[in-house]
Amino acid sequence: MPGLEVESKRRKRRHEEGQDELDAEPSALHRNGHLEMLSDDEDGNDIQSDDGQVDQFPEIHTESDSEEEEKEETSDEEDEEEDEEDKDEDEESDSASDSAESLHVFPKAKTVMSEITGQPKLVYPEIEPDYDSDSSTEDAPNRVGDIPMHWYDDLPHIGYDVNGRKVLRPARGDELDKFLQTVDDPSSWTAAFDKNTQMDKPLSAEELDIIHRLYKGENPDANYDPYEPTIEWFTGKGKEEVMPLSAAPEPKRRWVPSKWEKQKVMKIVRAIRQGRILPSKPKSKAKFEFYSIWNDTPSTHQPPLPAPKPPLPTNSESYNPPEEYLPTDEERKRWEETDPEDRERDYLPQKYSALRLVPGYDQFIKERFHRQLDLYLAPRVQRVKINIDPKTLIPKLPSPNNLKPFPNYKSLHFIHAKGRARCISVSPDGAWVVSGDEEGIASLWEVNVGREIQRWQFEGRIGLIEWCPRLDVSYFVVGTEEKLHFLIPPNITNAVLSLTQSLLAPSSLPPPPNPTPIKWNSVSPNHWSLDKPILTLALPDSSGLPIQAHWHRKGDYLATVSNSKTHGGVWIHQLSRRHSQAPFKRIKGTVQAVLFHPLKPHFFVATQQYVRLYNLSEQKLLKTLMPGIKWISSLDVHPSGDHVIVGGYDRKLCWFDLELSDKPYKVLRYHTRAIRSLHFHPTYPLFASSSDDGSIQIFHSRVYNDLLTDPLIVPLKILRGHSVKDQLGVLQVRWCGKHPWLVSAGADGHVVVWCS
Amino acid sequence: MAKIKQKGKAGAAKAYVTRTAAVRKLQCSLADFRRLCILKGIFPREPKSRKKANKGSSAPTSFYYAKDIAYLAHEPVLKKLREHKAFAKKLSRALGRGEWSSAKSLEENKPIYRLDHIIKERYPTFIDALRDIDDGLCMAFLFASLPSTSRLPPELIENCVRLSSEWQLYVMHTRSLRKSFFSIKGVYYQAEVMDQHVSWLVPYQFTQSIPPDVDVRVMMTFLELYQTLLGFVLFKLYTDAGLVYPPPLDSKKEEGAAGVGAYSLQKVTPVQPATIPQTQNADSVRASSKAVQRAIKSIGSSATKEAGLTADTPESPEDIDEDFVPHQSTSDSQSVATLPTLKSISSLPQTLTTNLFAPYTFFLSRESSRPIFEFLVRSFGGRIGWPASSGNGSPVSDDDESITHVIIDRPLVERPNETAEERSRRLRRKYVQPQWVVDCINAGKILLEDAYAQGKTLPPHLSPFGERDGAYDPLAGDQIEDSDSESEEEPVAEEEGEEEEEHTAKLSATRAIDLGDMDVTEDSEALRAAELAAEAAGVDYGAFEKAVSKSGRKSKTTNQTVEEGGDDMNKMLMSNKQRKLYEKIQHSRRKRDSERAVIEAKKRSLQKKAKRESKTPK
Repeated sequence: MPGLEVESKRRKRRHEEGQDELDAEPSALHRNGHLEMLSDDEDGNDIQSDDGQVDQFPEIHTESDSEEEEKEETSDEEDEEEDEEDKDEDEESDSASDSAESLHVFPKAKTVMSEITGQPKLVYPEIEPDYDSDSSTEDAPNRVGDIPMHWYDDLPHIGYDVNGRKVLRPARGDELDKFLQTVDDPSSWTAAFDKNTQMDKPLSAEELDIIHRLYKGENPDANYDPYEPTIEWFTGKGKEEVMPLSAAPEPKRRWVPSKWEKQKVMKIVRAIRQGRILPSKPKSKAKFEFYSIWNDTPSTHQPPLPAPKPPLPTNSESYNPPEEYLPTDEERKRWEETDPEDRERDYLPQKYSALRLVPGYDQFIKERFHRQLDLYLAPRVQRVKINIDPKTLIPKLPSPNNLKPFPNYKSLHFIHAKGRARCISVSPDGAWVVSGDEEGIASLWEVNVGREIQRWQFEGRIGLIEWCPRLDVSYFVVGTEEKLHFLIPPNITNAVLSLTQSLLAPSSLPPPPNPTPIKWNSVSPNHWSLDKPILTLALPDSSGLPIQAHWHRKGDYLATVSNSKTHGGVWIHQLSRRHSQAPFKRIKGTVQAVLFHPLKPHFFVATQQYVRLYNLSEQKLLKTLMPGIKWISSLDVHPSGDHVIVGGYDRKLCWFDLELSDKPYKVLRYHTRAIRSLHFHPTYPLFASSSDDGSIQIFHSRVYNDLLTDPLIVPLKILRGHSVKDQLGVLQVRWCGKHPWLVSAGADGHVVVWCS
Repeated sequence: MAKIKQKGKAGAAKAYVTRTAAVRKLQCSLADFRRLCILKGIFPREPKSRKKANKGSSAPTSFYYAKDIAYLAHEPVLKKLREHKAFAKKLSRALGRGEWSSAKSLEENKPIYRLDHIIKERYPTFIDALRDIDDGLCMAFLFASLPSTSRLPPELIENCVRLSSEWQLYVMHTRSLRKSFFSIKGVYYQAEVMDQHVSWLVPYQFTQSIPPDVDVRVMMTFLELYQTLLGFVLFKLYTDAGLVYPPPLDSKKEEGAAGVGAYSLQKVTPVQPATIPQTQNADSVRASSKAVQRAIKSIGSSATKEAGLTADTPESPEDIDEDFVPHQSTSDSQSVATLPTLKSISSLPQTLTTNLFAPYTFFLSRESSRPIFEFLVRSFGGRIGWPASSGNGSPVSDDDESITHVIIDRPLVERPNETAEERSRRLRRKYVQPQWVVDCINAGKILLEDAYAQGKTLPPHLSPFGERDGAYDPLAGDQIEDSDSESEEEPVAEEEGEEEEEHTAKLSATRAIDLGDMDVTEDSEALRAAELAAEAAGVDYGAFEKAVSKSGRKSKTTNQTVEEGGDDMNKMLMSNKQRKLYEKIQHSRRKRDSERAVIEAKKRSLQKKAKRESKTPK
């Protein structure tokens, strides 16, 4: 601001100088303006001169006026002096301008003889440009202007001067010359290449100074003073504004004490007087006093359950425990390796010979902390501690000794040398056993002695052997691949033999009923020998191996199950009519076993997961038993017909009371491997189950006639003696009809008779 | 049609709230919630089905009873915590602005919460409170031994020291200490106060440092509660015992590290009930000149006071004499016949144990810890002195003639330059190792000092609290071995009561065995017949029992195999639930038995080793 100010003054001055003679009046005007500009300053001076008296004499105006006038005069004088000084400076800076100024405004032209034309011409003196004229073209001989100089690169000149003459390219040495020049001329480093003149031009002292300043990061102007004293134009002492900005009178609230404040204070004062507020309240640092908190009547509500106390220390925590408590190296290692939260004890027993040697326990604070975490972070569950003798949990059952007889020892065994003894059957009189193995050999032997009487050889393995329950005839059925063979045992009375022969191979065949895919092929008694089956049933093709058969109690009907997937593989064969029929058109799931009801015309079909009970006479489904077994292996029905046991490959045995429910009355799981076979004793209250773990379990099973009493099941004996082969154990068990004897066939090829 | 029930409106979904929900409901920070839970004793619950309680989510959360949280919402402490939050904000604002005077006045009016209502609520009766001071005592003793840091202000430590000393004083005064145990973790004590067993653990005197993974805030909150609880409990105990609470502290003595001795128990004089509270106040608030004088007097009379305490029960030494005379072998039937009177029951066991050390004076050598043994000996009526290096205030000096025992924990050293007087004094006194004191207390009688003499290898120190049932019992092992040599008369020398108990225990045991037998029908009948026969023959019942049990053991081994077969089969018919329970019980039994077998095997190998070693030198 001050700098601008100065410049404007100078310009004005030049105007004055230029136009001094032309018009005097404007100068007077100018002066007035000038005075006005400085009036503030003068006022400030004025105030400064009589500082304290401003308030005292605010209304004396005339005096102040006169004073102002006087001041104006003095200021004029000062101004003039300043102007003179400025002039001096100008003269010093450039005398040329002075000389020009001393001449006329328009310089006179000289008449000169032209060298080129030889005629006189007017030559004006060269114009010396003033301060503010463009200095860029001042003395440049080359007047090409600001063009790319490489246009002249191929020419001998570098431009034209003011008179239109070529400016020739100055001679420039090669690099060596340049170098020599730098060596010779000590001031060559202060020269810079000038593009316009195409030569090095030494820098002036001022230019060097500017470069130097720029290099130092200073202001390039040498005259610039960054620490100039501040000129206080409007502020500072003596220049305070006294005149109010607004003429509004001062509001009352500025000096009248506040009513509301008074009310607030009075409220506090009143509170203090009444003692509601204690001004110097005694500090609450006073110690907390205990008092008899439990003296008044206790509250009626239930106290919260006390936290469980930590267990008290045992002998092993002693500082000097008996030596046997000390851990071995192995135990110590194991303790150290387990995570702290998995450890059974949080310390290792240690022994110190004296109390003074016991170190501080480093986990003390941590243990206390964990106890506290337990107290406030662990959920507490109230558990009833069962403090009972586990023996009381075992059901009380009658002693097996009181439930004799039952088979409890192995009396003899018959060996199938080649293959697994797959199936057995005991004759209805209980004197003979037929056993079949997987090599196709069926052996007939005596129960009492174990002597083999007869042997039959079949093709393929034998899937089933079932003796006809009729007593007036004697024969059994053997199932091989897609065939059922009816065989007559030797050593039977002639009457029985003839009756059997007439039954199985009647002389006059009954008229063939509806065509069935099953062929009944009899051998006439004349051609028949003991080695051959007298009757063979050819089951339909691809029906597979018959795996299970069950005779109706009257011995006329035989139900068989084959292991093929088609038709469910269930057939019922009627001997008297030489007729076979498939009772089910379609059946859900694969059939595992079928049974005739011992008393009623009912038929049990066990599929993989369910046991269905059909009424054959009415041809409808009566019941579906759901044992909850994944895969049923076998089932048997109690001679009374009201109870069924079902065994599964998933080790479960289910007892169903048909009167009761579709769900098992009892589920037993005692075998360690799959259950293979079940059998109820026809007369004794016994049943047996055999399993792949090689054991046979004998149960006492008493069934009561009144509906209120539950059947009594008592495990009697585990018979072990079969060895497990290829993860197969005892494959079939059968009771001897009249004795409490059991015959079992094992995968190890043994057929064992168990006697009581 | 019944109204359709919406999900999550009843049952577990309403009864439980998650922690986050609880914090949100209470509108406090988690830290405040934790503090409240600690103070109010609220802990998470385990719902039967976490899914049902958490609206079908099975995320791992902790559940609280909704009722608990609803009660918390009305808690005055919660209000105070909120006020404190506001106060903290105001204070930080004032400090940030540099308004020191307002900060000071804020600080003066800082909200402080009191816990007495919580104590009353959590422990409606005094017994409830007494039952739950175990943890509190542990904490007080622990913090009394900690150095004060920036996080543990010295006032807190001081208060803990005071509380623990007051408790010890009370136990000593009422002679209620029952058992003690030197463990590797510290010293366990068990006192019987108002028929409640209070057990606490005191760390050995070593500097403890708080590990970095321990949250001190939690511990401090617990300590806050425990301090209040202990204060009220002690107040009640002291006032019930007719003592002034708090017992005045003699600062001069305390500076001299007198420990418990710095406090003096004062009887409340019932003659001038009006003046007592005044003096009490004066004592508690600041020591007036009067109180100081009184304290000085009490110092002077401390020794006589000790005597007075022992004189309170002047008949005690006689009792002890009687007790150590072995009883004449009264037959069991007689002892059963004499009905114990109430007086005999109440007096007999107490006089037996509490005045155990009454006839003796102990002196503590400087390497054994004074606080432990001062407490142990004085709570059983003994007098004890200690060298000046263990703190001042010792009532007995080193050369006192009355000293009978010296508790010493140093190896035996030769004393070449010993005056005759010292030597005679040394011979007169019995030098025992510290374990003797505790073993005597636990045994309830004075044991022979020879086994515990200075420099000897100590017998094992066993826990008086017993083992879990079925665990290995080191003493039983000896008994089994020595059972043949042990005569029947030996146990009679012990107290009759114990014998009786043992006997009844045996009886019940055999009976239980009988009941447990599967072949009850035959055996019990035979037993009864044999019993009748024995009675007719005049055989002592005890002898008969023993014979029976012996024979039973023999026969059992044979029977067991048969029985187990039958049991195994019957197990088939157990329901699934029962089978699982049975398996669980059997599993725990097997585990216990295997543990026991391991220790027994170790013992056997140790014994073999010892035998071999004893044989080889010969």
